[in-house]
Amino acid sequence: MDIEVREVRDFLATHAPWEYLPSPALDALASELAIRYYRRGTRLYGVGDPNNTVHIVRSGGVDLRDAQEQLVERLGPGGVFGASSVLTQTPSNLSTTAIEDSLVLIVPTPRFLQLVSEHEEFRRFFEATSDARLRRGADRRSQSQTGEVTLGRTVESFLGREPIAAPSTVSIQQAAQIMAEHKVSALLLVDHDRLTGIVTDRDLRSKVVAQARPVDGSVSEVMTPDPITIGPEARAFEVLLDMTSRGFHHLPVVRDGKVLGLVSAGDVMRLDRAHPIYLAADIGRQNSPEGVAEVCRRTPRLVAEYIHSDASAREISRLLGSINESATRRLITLAEQELGPAPAPWAWVVLGSQARLEAGLGSDQDHAIILHDSAADLDAEQRGWWPRLAERVVAGLEASGYPRCDGDVMATTWCHTTQEWQQHFATWLNTPASQEVLYAQIFFDMRAIHGATDLAEHLMEVVTRATPGASRFLAHLATQAVAASPPLGFFKGFVLERGGEHADTLDLKSSSHAIIQIARTHALALGSTETGTEERLRLASASHKIAPDLTEALIDASEFINHLRLTHQADEVSQGRKPNNRIAPKALNALDKRTLKEAFEVISRAQRALSHTYSTHLMS
Amino acid sequence: MAFWDALTRRSPDDRRRKLLARTPGGPLRAYLEHPLPDPTTPVDDLRLLAIDVETTGLDPTVHRLLSIGFVPVNGRSIDLSGARRLLIRQGAGPGPGVGESATIHGLTDDQLSVGLTLAEALAITLDALAGRVLLAHYTDMEEGFLGAACERAFGTAPVFSSVDTMHLQYLLLTQGFDDEPPRDALRLWGARQRYGLPVYKAHEALTDALACAELYLALIEEPGTGSSLASLQR
Repeated sequence: MDIEVREVRDFLATHAPWEYLPSPALDALASELAIRYYRRGTRLYGVGDPNNTVHIVRSGGVDLRDAQEQLVERLGPGGVFGASSVLTQTPSNLSTTAIEDSLVLIVPTPRFLQLVSEHEEFRRFFEATSDARLRRGADRRSQSQTGEVTLGRTVESFLGREPIAAPSTVSIQQAAQIMAEHKVSALLLVDHDRLTGIVTDRDLRSKVVAQARPVDGSVSEVMTPDPITIGPEARAFEVLLDMTSRGFHHLPVVRDGKVLGLVSAGDVMRLDRAHPIYLAADIGRQNSPEGVAEVCRRTPRLVAEYIHSDASAREISRLLGSINESATRRLITLAEQELGPAPAPWAWVVLGSQARLEAGLGSDQDHAIILHDSAADLDAEQRGWWPRLAERVVAGLEASGYPRCDGDVMATTWCHTTQEWQQHFATWLNTPASQEVLYAQIFFDMRAIHGATDLAEHLMEVVTRATPGASRFLAHLATQAVAASPPLGFFKGFVLERGGEHADTLDLKSSSHAIIQIARTHALALGSTETGTEERLRLASASHKIAPDLTEALIDASEFINHLRLTHQADEVSQGRKPNNRIAPKALNALDKRTLKEAFEVISRAQRALSHTYSTHLMS
Repeated sequence: MAFWDALTRRSPDDRRRKLLARTPGGPLRAYLEHPLPDPTTPVDDLRLLAIDVETTGLDPTVHRLLSIGFVPVNGRSIDLSGARRLLIRQGAGPGPGVGESATIHGLTDDQLSVGLTLAEALAITLDALAGRVLLAHYTDMEEGFLGAACERAFGTAPVFSSVDTMHLQYLLLTQGFDDEPPRDALRLWGARQRYGLPVYKAHEALTDALACAELYLALIEEPGTGSSLASLQR
């Protein structure tokens, strides 16, 4: 005798959270369900009604609405409802209505409670706090399918022996003797438990021997004072990025001002040789734009492979940023070799996602040039040096797979002295029209990657001193940050928009854009020069502008959406297509859809909060 | 049998009592001891058993039962805990095996060789059906085969009270129209499609019984369908 209702069991086995149950539990459950049918338009139960059973949509569709009749969720086949009122033993806070003729499976409550108590993954599905689920979603997405990737290790985990250190008062010769004795290529100089400098083999070669400097002089004459340091929790990956982007080979590791040790490029290199990070180094060795382009064109495929290891979206985007930076720097250097030295000090800045280190695959070029004010006195021919350079760099980047910017936010057009830049920013800040603000936002995410980087730092310090008082400008920013509502979720292979309309694809860029804009608005209101979205959000949280739990949830939402976006782009690349930001719901599994739905909800919450702060409804 | 009922004006339950009086102990008697549901029973309280049979052909006098699937319906709810699928072992004696019919139901002689005897399968089915209405899509098939099998196993065919989803669908489709409904609209899978019910793999007795039960739930929600057992019956 056979009691298995195969059609029902197979249905459960392919839908969350039932699919997490072991086979015997699933068999038992399938043979205990009841089935009911509801005609289109039938209300199953209303807000405040008692509900004692968990329901599963078998066919058709059911709308869940809150007390204000606002659509909260539209469930298609596989959708589950009624669990929260069963688990909390309270009346339902949602109404449920069949929007199509619907067949509904009903789970006996004792069996449901038993499953919840016995199966952890099943239980988690019903956990009350969606933020916790979002966090796991974000973690899960970046979890390894191939085991731990070495570059994900923290510095602490591979930091070797005690640091070799000496006071900065020792002589050059004494320093060299200590290094020779311990067979190290760098020596940390520590005074009163504080790191004051670092001296390396290279310093001894180039600053002492090459210049015939007397070796009895103080080591402080040749050391690098106040060196850049890194924390013990930094990933090997970040160490490599810091080193390659700055051209260092050593980084002191410091926690709470105390020196823990020193990591060298070699330490990290030994961890993992086959890593796309080496692309950045490869690019730096190229002697022609064609060579740079050739290496860059390997990027998408290598990164696509890397995405499927345990890298987070943040790490992947930093990697893409560092490759873009290396290519840009190399192309600038090659152009400089051709054009001769610049007629005045200047800086090349990247803007938007490149500045935030949040670029995806296929991101376009966004950059500009800042000239020292002395360039204002140059004649047209001299000043033409920068457009000539910019044209070469833009063409080189285009050949390397970075499309030209549609809005023409490129150094070929945007090449101004500090003073001219200040005037542009003043116009945006003081007489903002909403279209202009939309266009200008990108300039507020600025990072210098070549030349006199202090020009950019100085400019942004001046600008961000003015942003907190530019209330109309901030209100425009806030309005744009809340302009696009995230979707509500998914229904039968479509994206379900908030008004109940259906869309064919999900625009992942638009979802992450809302978070970026929220973060930017807060950071500029606080007068911060910070550009990273996560950093901006944490800053806003520390200044009590966003609730701490919402901040963490937004960061998780951002990580999840960006990881999905990068994975999608990597898939497009591996199928020989141009990477884009639009994903079809059928490409998402049930868990991704569920987590996305929670990410949308978090974005919506943050938008409501921002809207409240800036009274965006007052703006047109 | 309908002709006989009309002639004698005896209700199915009268006939059940009469038959009970001359049925010896055994599964059939146990079934007959339960009264058939009263024709005035409201749909909300009606207890039914959706049944589907897989057979070697369409003629109960010639072809044989291979499998029986059933699932209870209580009012407006299907109870999967009572769902069963029974395979019937085929005698080694003369007579055709599964033969060509396997192309429809997918049951092979090997699978059936480990099944129940006909009497065992009927006993389980009659036990589940006791006190319930037999529900099927085109009940002639189920009534005919179960009746013939009971005659073979126990010497007598039982009395059934039945509801036919094909008949209900026919009534709904012909309300206010003179035209005959298209054939496909009356078939089980065609009718289900009309109510947005899921697509199942057909011709497995339990799945077909479940499909019929789900269709019944949809049909009794239709405004034109009656509200008591009598109004659902022919």
